[in-house]
Amino acid sequence: MHQLSPRPRLSWLPGLPLLARYITATMPWSTLLTGCLAGTVFLSVLVHVAGTSRGPLDQGTVRLAFLPAVAALAFLLRIPFRPLTQATPVPAWVAPAGHLLLAAPVLAVTCWAQLRIMVQTIPPHTIGHPPAVYPVIAQLTGWCAITVAAGVCVDRSRYADLGGAVAAPVSFAAIALAWYAPVTSRILTEPPATALGGTTAWYAIAAAALALTCVAMRDRWHRYSRHRG
Amino acid sequence: MTATGGGPALHGPDAADPADNDGGSRATPQSKAPRLRMALSLARVEAALLVRSVLVLAGLLAGALVIWFLLRSAEPLWWNVGWRIGGGQLVLGMAVLAAAQLNAGRARRDAMADLYASFPATAGTRTFAHLIGLAGAAPASLLLIGAAAVVIQGRGAIGSPSIAVLAGGLLLVIAAGAAGIAIGTRFAHPLAGVLGALALFISSAPTHLASGGGIWLLPWETFQDQLGWLPGPLAGYPPAGAHAVELAGLAVLAGILAVAVTIGRVRARVNLVAAGILAVVVICFAGALQLRPVPTAELNHLVTEIADPASVQHCTSGSEVRYCLYPGFGRDLPSLEAPVNGVLAHLPARPDQPLTIRQAALASFDGTFTHGHPNWQVSRWNAQLQGAPGTAATVSAIYLSVGSWPTAGGQLADARFDVALAAAGWAVHFPLPLVNGQPCVPLNQAREAIAIWLAILATHPPAGELQDGLRGPGGGIAGTEVSSTMVRTWNYPGLNANYLVGVVPQFTAAGYVLANAMTSLPEQKVSQVLDSAWTTWLNWHTTDAQLATALGIPMPTVPGFPVPGPGVRIVQRDQGNAPQNPVCTS
Repeated sequence: MHQLSPRPRLSWLPGLPLLARYITATMPWSTLLTGCLAGTVFLSVLVHVAGTSRGPLDQGTVRLAFLPAVAALAFLLRIPFRPLTQATPVPAWVAPAGHLLLAAPVLAVTCWAQLRIMVQTIPPHTIGHPPAVYPVIAQLTGWCAITVAAGVCVDRSRYADLGGAVAAPVSFAAIALAWYAPVTSRILTEPPATALGGTTAWYAIAAAALALTCVAMRDRWHRYSRHRG
Repeated sequence: MTATGGGPALHGPDAADPADNDGGSRATPQSKAPRLRMALSLARVEAALLVRSVLVLAGLLAGALVIWFLLRSAEPLWWNVGWRIGGGQLVLGMAVLAAAQLNAGRARRDAMADLYASFPATAGTRTFAHLIGLAGAAPASLLLIGAAAVVIQGRGAIGSPSIAVLAGGLLLVIAAGAAGIAIGTRFAHPLAGVLGALALFISSAPTHLASGGGIWLLPWETFQDQLGWLPGPLAGYPPAGAHAVELAGLAVLAGILAVAVTIGRVRARVNLVAAGILAVVVICFAGALQLRPVPTAELNHLVTEIADPASVQHCTSGSEVRYCLYPGFGRDLPSLEAPVNGVLAHLPARPDQPLTIRQAALASFDGTFTHGHPNWQVSRWNAQLQGAPGTAATVSAIYLSVGSWPTAGGQLADARFDVALAAAGWAVHFPLPLVNGQPCVPLNQAREAIAIWLAILATHPPAGELQDGLRGPGGGIAGTEVSSTMVRTWNYPGLNANYLVGVVPQFTAAGYVLANAMTSLPEQKVSQVLDSAWTTWLNWHTTDAQLATALGIPMPTVPGFPVPGPGVRIVQRDQGNAPQNPVCTS
């Protein structure tokens, strides 16, 4: 067993500006943008196909349309050549954390665009207030956080090679369970949950998922891939 | 590592086996036989990988959960159940699509294309093997069908399964797998498979993509059909045979695309193009068949069944109560008789008018039934349906919603309580289910507490569930406006499940708490009090306080509404600008 010599904990910080360029370059932009665009294009097609004859689009449709972006997020946090990366002075989690930071505005813009598309299908002078948007934003934030946590955890497992292909279904299953299971739906699904209660619960889930993400990203234990006979 | 792995046509250093470029003309029977054997061997390996794929196993579990979710509260009617099993197959199909894409894209994803190109099996052979290997997804699909069928039969299913519908579910899984292979041969990134699976799901989930007969063109429509509300199977709804042909055509077309991407021989590609055109023709033909209107004779018969149920329903009389059920629904009779008899056993006197409990089906046809029929015909059908017994208020009939009667568990207990409460309402002369109108409120009427007490005695529901009725959705306080006064209400168990057709009176919290207090008294004592002045208690002017005094108990207090302010929300059953509820005065 090798004993690594200790190094100052934040000695890599001064090199961060230099790292930014490489983090941006290694960001899987095509994956993220494909996911974001797929859902948005689907929503646009739906607007075109449905027209006004089948009523305006609702927030449920936006949730569906955001799923491809969530799926793309599952592929974002892969650390290639982890054993090599861990040997460098820069912590291995810096690159995926940077990717996550870069993805956040893209996802926010996607969410905004999809909500705009939905709003445009609501005819003017509609009686009554449209439903509040902040619970949907909280929910989508929670979905993203769950997916990121699942992606990082899968990356630390024997299924790391498949990465998002496992993490995305796991995230969808977790989201579906949270949405439909009687115990959790009382807290997360509106109604019976209130808008404020649901929003609080989703942000709490997002915080917990991000905490799990941090722990998983800092995990240095090397898991060997399964034996293939 | 297995020796298979799809990939696009390879050129130059990635070129496939020369046998793949011989144009096929010089292939001898001796050379074709080993290639077929090779493909079958590879297919066996791929099928084995698919059978034990984590994704497929997870899809199987998720599909089973979806079927359970779709059917947990529904009556097990085979004409509905068969199609719902397809909903689970859709989820399994998504997993198979993702797994097949991963398998087909393996060579390129692992940057092993050069290595695979050096193998005796060509890219085309490997893709062909992947397609045959989709047989590995069939066990999961068949297991899903078998397990669901066993559970449904165990719950006392009504009707018989349609082989075409169930086969359609299997074909959906195979078609999804073929689509996954087609995607994987061109796009090796795993995200492509996930997006393909999402596309499959999204094409079936939202209600904006298709309407009318067009819903059957979707891979597997889930939420727009009315199968659960039919009193029996309806020919052509869904057009299962044509849909199975469409799915088979899609599977073949996806397979052709996958092979076409991976082979380099021109002549073979021409043959594939011809086969692809044929597949498209079959798909279009199947689509046209699905868009055909439901036969007029079938819809006429259905309208007759709904508008004139007496002509088809089987009626049974017991304890001077008539139970009229559609053919095949006789198994519901015992669970209906028990709560009604429980109420009758505690009645001092019965109303003059006999009680009839009858099933009622659809109140109107939507576009999924009427597409392709002239407007005048649709109007006539809907006019006939408007005159159906279930849509008119009567004082001596309770209408059960077809397809909603549960088979076991807490839901059955709720449904039994609802029937008991409706029978008790008939006994105390409540106006029986109103339709399309505001429910009346028996405000401060002794007969309300008596009706609830009778229903509790007849079915013995859990006290906690009854107590929950005092809370509104989201844990708030439920209330409604009567005579310009906010009144706290009580929602009985199963209210939102719509086991009964129409609107029953809106019960008040005061009525419930008094009934609850009555249950703590000796049953004989309460019966004596009710016997002594039954006519008085049925009078809507007789108050809760008078009943409490007669029983010798203090009138239980009902907490009022909190003072309006931040965080206080009053929830009504009918949200919006609904008019005030009238008081029950009949």
